Amino acid sequence: MKRNIFLIIIGIALAFWPLGGYQEGIIILTCINCIAAMGVSILTGFTGIFTLGHAAYMALGAYTTAILTVRYGVHYIPAIIAGGFMAVLIAWLIGIPTLKLTGDYYAIASIGLGEAIRLIIENWQSLTRGSRGFPGIDPYTTRFTAVIIFIMLAIFTFNMLESNIGRELKASRDDIIAASLLGFNTPRTRMKALLISAFYCGISGALLGGYMSFIQPSMFDMMKSTELTAIVVFGGLGSMSGTILGSAAITLIMEYFRDISQYRMLIYGVLLVVIMVFRPEGLMGSRELWDFLKFGGKKNNA
Amino acid sequence: MLELVNIDMAFGGVKALDHMSFKISDGSITGIIGPNGAGKTTIFNVITGVYSPTAGKIFLNGRDITPLKAYQINRLGIARTFQNLRLFTRSSVLENVMTAAQNHYINSYRENFLGSIQPAVKPDPKINYGFFDALLHLGRWRNSERTLKLNSLELLARVGLADRADQAAGTLPYGMQRRLEIARALALSPEILLLDEPAAGMNPEEVFELNNLITGIHKDFKLTILVIEHHMDLIMNICPHVICLNFGEKIAEGSGSEIQNNPEVLAAYLGTGEEEI
Amino acid sequence: MSFTFSTFVQQIINGLSLGSVYALIAVGYSLVYSILLFSNFAHGGFLVVGGYACYYLLTQWGYSVPFSMLGALLASGLTAVVTERLAYKPIRERTPITLYLLIASMGVNIIIENLFVVTVGGRIRALPRSTFPTGVFNLWEGITISSSDVLSLVTAVIFLSLLQLFLSRTRWGLAIRAAACDIKTAGLMGVNVTFLISLVFFVAGVLAAVGGVFLSVRYSLYPQLGNITTKAFVAAVIGGLGSLPGAVAGSLILGLAEMLTAGFISSQMRDLVVYSLLVIMLLISPAGFFGKKISEKI
Ligand SMILES: Nc1ncnc2c1ncn2[C@@H]1O[C@H](COP(=O)(O)OP(=O)(O)O)[C@@H](O)[C@H]1O
Ligand SMILES: [Mg+2]
Repeated sequence: MKRNIFLIIIGIALAFWPLGGYQEGIIILTCINCIAAMGVSILTGFTGIFTLGHAAYMALGAYTTAILTVRYGVHYIPAIIAGGFMAVLIAWLIGIPTLKLTGDYYAIASIGLGEAIRLIIENWQSLTRGSRGFPGIDPYTTRFTAVIIFIMLAIFTFNMLESNIGRELKASRDDIIAASLLGFNTPRTRMKALLISAFYCGISGALLGGYMSFIQPSMFDMMKSTELTAIVVFGGLGSMSGTILGSAAITLIMEYFRDISQYRMLIYGVLLVVIMVFRPEGLMGSRELWDFLKFGGKKNNA
Repeated sequence: MLELVNIDMAFGGVKALDHMSFKISDGSITGIIGPNGAGKTTIFNVITGVYSPTAGKIFLNGRDITPLKAYQINRLGIARTFQNLRLFTRSSVLENVMTAAQNHYINSYRENFLGSIQPAVKPDPKINYGFFDALLHLGRWRNSERTLKLNSLELLARVGLADRADQAAGTLPYGMQRRLEIARALALSPEILLLDEPAAGMNPEEVFELNNLITGIHKDFKLTILVIEHHMDLIMNICPHVICLNFGEKIAEGSGSEIQNNPEVLAAYLGTGEEEI
Repeated sequence: MSFTFSTFVQQIINGLSLGSVYALIAVGYSLVYSILLFSNFAHGGFLVVGGYACYYLLTQWGYSVPFSMLGALLASGLTAVVTERLAYKPIRERTPITLYLLIASMGVNIIIENLFVVTVGGRIRALPRSTFPTGVFNLWEGITISSSDVLSLVTAVIFLSLLQLFLSRTRWGLAIRAAACDIKTAGLMGVNVTFLISLVFFVAGVLAAVGGVFLSVRYSLYPQLGNITTKAFVAAVIGGLGSLPGAVAGSLILGLAEMLTAGFISSQMRDLVVYSLLVIMLLISPAGFFGKKISEKI
């Protein structure tokens, strides 16, 4: 409860603090990235399914919303939600064959399917205008919209992780055999995690489209997927506050180096390697921010 | 009543179980003994649906459970512990128990995808909430979680771990981890409890406590218990009925003293030379 | 495009040639996987290093083709060894979780790719025409085979046979195969595991460089050329991760599928077909053709 109030206060501050256009843009982008990262965190950090293709779900959300708003004049709120559900629908179709796989097999399959979705979007010219991109999207992603949606989803996520479903996901992450012998239908558990995470990524993509006013298949390539997963690892697998902090940190660092943009990716690569070498458990390990506050960081997480 | 009929279980060339048949009557405590590699754990694995047997059938109260999946069999009231502990080591002790407990309350109340399978345990309407209650932490969530937590703490107290509730399970001493596994299995409100070497790695004092714990929960929870053990005094103390295996075959079945004096059993143990009987 | 027998044969030839290049890459990747059980995404980076080394040795420093090739193999092999020592070894020694290695390898891939972007620019380059014979042989009724296709097929066969000989006939080769079964035991039996892992990375790097040079000839050279390794990874997964025959089989299947799609459906559908193939294969056999099914004892 305290945590949710804290999040709401942060949200109000982010939404109403008087800022210039540039800072506003950074806040919007941070919220968008955080939403997608939370989705991937649910799947990778809390369910132990390692994905390298979740940018595709962002693409599905972005294109669905763009097409609905631009072509069919749908209001942006239902369109964003539809974007989330389109991602869920495709995730469900993809999940049926692929969730049987584990470890690196799933990771490579997710790359393949992510790329396949991107290629379909690229080749379906009549609907998506192909690789030239889809212009003229209403700039519906204001700071207010982005912050509200982000804070709402963050509260949902934390609440969810602190209830039956959170325990179910962690059980199948930590020991899938034990989980099935405790009565969990583990294939279904994994599917739930995938669908939830696809929804978040779909929403994030929808917001990205409204922020940029322009989307292009290449914005949702394997690089973007990798970035999402890297952020989750950077924040700490199994720590949702770590995911949010990590995502915000990476977004800000990348913004900071915007002027020397050619070095940006280089720095990003170095960052990944350095973190893995010196602090592979990420910013937070598997603890949440308030665990540090409550127990002075002493809670044992072997 | 649990009944195995002519169960075969082969792994490649290895026949882990060979025409295994026995009946377990309700409310009994049965010991399963035999040298290492005899197929004891494999019996638990086929009963709980981890492996589906190569041939043969398993009946629970007259119903064929052989084709069911592990989680479905579990919900029919069979719970187990593991020889090689399988706790959620990073989660707290309490969370381990709550993870199990929620299944026989929240989930079995909501999900009826088992089709004709009725969960063994009557769901508790006090512990029940849905996805949206969880997202919003509404009142139903709060009440249910509180009840769930109280029930789980009660179980922890039963196995003597109440003061360890907030510790990460992986940091418990070995003997306590074994007892936590028992608490977690009990949280499923089973009718049949399968214990796989619950005393392994325990000192004599702990074994004595375990002895009392098993007989205690047998009575209080009205359980049917199957226990695999190498500690013969534990078996002799708590099991009126013992089954002895060797090389996947049942070589003897009867009361403790009958087993102890059975020449085939003696030969099996002498042959491997690893256990004293 | 209508179905004609000659197109079919032509695309089979092209497919085998492409598949052989994939095989060189996939085998190196699978070799690393078989020892350390993680997907080394830096493999694409090694390939790019090989490509650029060859390019600069040829054009800037004017070395002969064989010498430039050799230089490329060495550069790439050493990059792989240095990567292992600097980035992977500290992680391996700290934790058994292979996920961290995977992320680090992605980091290395990004570093290598962008080092080239920063230093030599993202421009697309072509190896000089004179590098490889460019003749085209007319086989039969319009079916042609270019000398670079022949060369890549032959080179792939030579290198893969050499690898096979190395793994089956030499002491270190046997040690590598033992380590692929169980690296801890191999260590206990007195094998110098650190050296062995470096050796594996060196071999993988060399194979990647060969693939890199042929890809630069077939397409062209640019810093993101390494992304094509994704397809070699897919091939390795189809064949079964960690299995070398599987990697070769998967690569040939992929090469053929790609070229037949290009010939009979459309060039744009190539990649889509590759990924659909991946899904179908995994549906049929989730551990690939030759993959070990790990069954855990409970
Ligand atoms: N998953 C498995 N794969 C292959 N062999 C197995 C597997 N599980 C058990 N076995 C074999 O079956 C036999 C019986 O094993 P088990 O039931 O664990 O014996 P124990 O009586 O010691 O519990 C052993 O030979 C063992 O190697
Ligand atoms: Mg056993």
